[in-house]
Amino acid sequence: MKILFLSLFLFLSFTGNAQKFTLSGTIKDASNGEDIFGAVIKVKGLDNVGTLTNSYGFYSLTLDTGEYTIIYRSNGFLSQEIKFNLIENITKNIELTMPADVLQIQEMNVNAEKENDNITSSGMNVTRFDPKSIETIPVLFGEKDIMKTLQLTPGVKTAGEGNSGFFVRGGGADQNLILLDEAPVYNASHLLGFFSVFNSDAIKDVSLYKAGIPAEYGGRASSVMDVKMKDGNLKKFGASGGIGLISSRLAIEGPIVKEKGSFIVSGRRSYLDIFLKLSKDENQRNSKLYFYDFNAKANYKISDKDRIFLSGYFGRDKFGFSDQFGFDWGNATGTLRYNRIINSKLFSNTSFVYSNFDYQFTIGSGEDAFGIKSSIEDFSLKQDFTYYLNKNNTMKFGVSGMHHTFKPGALTGDNDSFNEIVLDSRYAMEFGAYIQNDQKIGARFNIMYGVRYSGFDLIGGKSYTYDDNGDKLTEETHDRWESSSYQFGIEPRLSMSYVISERNSIKLAYDRNYQYIHQLSNSTTSSPTDVWMPSSNNIKPQVADQIALGYYQNVKKNTYQISAEVYYKKLHNQIDYRNGANLLLNNLVEGELVYGNGTAYGLELMLQKKKGKLTGWISYTLSRSLRQFDDINEGRVFSARQDRIHDLSVVVMYKINKSLSLATTFVYYTGDAVTFPSGKYYVGGISIPYFTERNGYRMPDYHRMDVGLTWYMKESKRFKHNLNFSIYNLYARENAYTISFEDNSQTGETEAIQTALFKIIPSITYNFKLK
Amino acid sequence: MKLYLALIIGLLSFMSCTKVIDVDLNEANKIVVIEANYTAEDSMVRVLVTQTANYFSNDPQPVLNNAIVSITDHLGNITSVPFASDGNYELTNYVPAFGSEYTLTVVHDETTYASTSIMNTPIAQLPIYYEFTEGFFGSKEGYLAFLSYNDPLESVVHIMAILSKNGKPKTKLNDLTLADDQLTNGNVIIRPLFAKIFDIGDTVGIELRTIDQNLYQYYLELQSLTDPSSAAPSNPDYQWTNNALGYFSAYSSSRQEVIIQ
Repeated sequence: MKILFLSLFLFLSFTGNAQKFTLSGTIKDASNGEDIFGAVIKVKGLDNVGTLTNSYGFYSLTLDTGEYTIIYRSNGFLSQEIKFNLIENITKNIELTMPADVLQIQEMNVNAEKENDNITSSGMNVTRFDPKSIETIPVLFGEKDIMKTLQLTPGVKTAGEGNSGFFVRGGGADQNLILLDEAPVYNASHLLGFFSVFNSDAIKDVSLYKAGIPAEYGGRASSVMDVKMKDGNLKKFGASGGIGLISSRLAIEGPIVKEKGSFIVSGRRSYLDIFLKLSKDENQRNSKLYFYDFNAKANYKISDKDRIFLSGYFGRDKFGFSDQFGFDWGNATGTLRYNRIINSKLFSNTSFVYSNFDYQFTIGSGEDAFGIKSSIEDFSLKQDFTYYLNKNNTMKFGVSGMHHTFKPGALTGDNDSFNEIVLDSRYAMEFGAYIQNDQKIGARFNIMYGVRYSGFDLIGGKSYTYDDNGDKLTEETHDRWESSSYQFGIEPRLSMSYVISERNSIKLAYDRNYQYIHQLSNSTTSSPTDVWMPSSNNIKPQVADQIALGYYQNVKKNTYQISAEVYYKKLHNQIDYRNGANLLLNNLVEGELVYGNGTAYGLELMLQKKKGKLTGWISYTLSRSLRQFDDINEGRVFSARQDRIHDLSVVVMYKINKSLSLATTFVYYTGDAVTFPSGKYYVGGISIPYFTERNGYRMPDYHRMDVGLTWYMKESKRFKHNLNFSIYNLYARENAYTISFEDNSQTGETEAIQTALFKIIPSITYNFKLK
Repeated sequence: MKLYLALIIGLLSFMSCTKVIDVDLNEANKIVVIEANYTAEDSMVRVLVTQTANYFSNDPQPVLNNAIVSITDHLGNITSVPFASDGNYELTNYVPAFGSEYTLTVVHDETTYASTSIMNTPIAQLPIYYEFTEGFFGSKEGYLAFLSYNDPLESVVHIMAILSKNGKPKTKLNDLTLADDQLTNGNVIIRPLFAKIFDIGDTVGIELRTIDQNLYQYYLELQSLTDPSSAAPSNPDYQWTNNALGYFSAYSSSRQEVIIQ
């Protein structure tokens, strides 16, 4: 592998003596001044010469002296063509406008022949959405949710009914790196998983990387979901929001200093507890169950070359049952960034990132009350550079260091029966360094190759060793900054594309990812109490190797996009529990773990219609995800829970007329792999299930159809509003959420009982935007 | 975790629905099941030898009457446990030596199954305490009974508490209270037993069993099997050699009773 990289780096073309100059600048949305990420800059008439804007809208393109026509283009915007006489370095900032009327939209469609970036870009397996493009898609309780939309794309599977958690290409739910403005979000769901923590009013763009993950990202085995918050309107004040059955939201944005700095603040609060007031049971009436979250971001342009960004998220879920029991949890993140355009070819970003997740229980009230608390907290510092070497090579390199604090649990309170107990905190430093080059070779070949070094140093706390049965052998206490185990990995990343013609291409990707922190969950529903554990002398990092191959074709002037991808993934050092593991307040929890390997492979097909009155996609995934543990299932290979063989999603959006838009989704997937008994026996007169194999059975297949109708009401220049009606589970399919086996109390016979969570759920949401 | 799932389903109960469904289950090979108890209270060894059955079978459980059963004490003395009836084997007047280990052996069809258990000293209970409660998670209002005892500081203790109402013990798996003293060592324990809510005039009984760590772990594993949210339920770790199901428990008990007034 090393030799391959070396030779590729040597390949960097430093050709000719012709004088070269650089055209650079930023690209923004003319309506609000937001940076446009991933906008295309192309040289007219030259194949495969061009670049893309980075996350901050910056671009740089170095060309030989001469006259050029440059095309600036981004999805949903009118493209611009500008002529340059490149006899010196030029800085050109561009503002792209959205089409204002039908004529312009037609004009856009004429130019649409060029919209084949999915074919020509080297990046494969990236799924990108902006919240606007999915606003009509019906969702549970009418709360639009970018994470649930991602679940409708190939290779991404939902964690369960109505749930925002997801699995990517056979990996576990903890193997997705979820970043909000670079800050890792440890528990990305609200309200028992039914909502994601991302308020779509505050989100600019979401990218999900399933393979060929760029070297700048690291830390999780299966995927990266990079969520970027809006920067706020640089030009004028505005507000937007929505009122729904379950929750309401409001966002306010505007300039701090016009064209120099802007801010956005947004908040959301749910009020599901109102439904509890309808309950007959007094205690249920006195219960609380809600969440709220805030997003805030501000940016300021200090000079043409320097800019700072400050962004943060704070969210909390609160659950309480009368005064007997309370449970609340939430994330807090903060990111401070400093951008500097060092010169027309070199862009720098420095980030300081904070992230925290914690949960706490309180049980009882008054003197007898006691509580359990747990948290994970990170501080990190990152330095990233983008170097636009020449027209064929764009390099990225950087370093990062992160300090983790794990507080696995503490029991405190006045209750005399319990001794206060505080589990040992554990600390770790996680390092990363990477270099990557995106290179164009000739008119048809693009290659992105890079390597990431990652290291994980567990420091302080106590370390233990265990025997084969998980019983403690030795114990050692370490000073706060003393290392107890250091692990590292070399992570090669590669993705390349070959453009066969303007209409079709093939792409290949390989990547290796190391994951040093692990979330342990032994349950079908993700819970805030699932513990995050660092790698240690006992727990090796999880490693995933993936190879993926794809074919892409556009037909009918890029109206239809077809893609087919295959992948094969090896997962090493996967973690599971021993039988009857004690996870609560247990310092020796590492002794309760067993280790194994996994394999995942699949075929993903997608047909997308991008233009016209009718848009949408059909996505089908055929895949397997298998595990093998010496200590589980007698060492035989078994299906992972998310081993859903068939997974089909259909999304259809139809613009009936200017004011009405209809959308419908249909999903079908093979039931989860589950463990059911193959016999029974009695202990103390109670029947006990007897199991012969892990995950040897299947839940019933899942399918569901949702519909939504959006009515865009009469708008004025400054005010836009719409009403969204949706029905979740239109034909009231009772999809199994759990299947349990119970003895019927009347007949004494053993029965299988299926619980379905939702039948038909209608909802209505009012959305508005004040400009 | 069970609580968390109960929350989801409980809170969505106004929308969710349950029904009995048909599930096609495989038929596993028949496995020997041995349930063996040695109770210090009446100095008796009781052993029931049976086999697994098909999961949905409603036939009486298949018993094994031709096993050879014996118990061995810590000095190596072997005592036969004679056959009584219907898969039951019983030995009377077998006086315990507290703190010592016993081995129970069952030979059936030329296979020997053995398991050991430590007979721990009984722990005396303090009088039962009870308190009126306004109902918890939708249960009815009434009196909640509290188990109380002094946890011995010097030893690791595992207990199983069984609540009874008017002489009828609550023996369903989830009604059994299991505890170790990891968080409570050396304290006065006052622990509510939620298996039953009582009314005035009811007789509350609590049997406090001192069990060994193996059995404690075994019962925790059994209880986790009743958690429908468990992603991957599996058989409890085998307590018997040659992979028979069931357990052997030597235990001692103390009892308390009170009439709610």
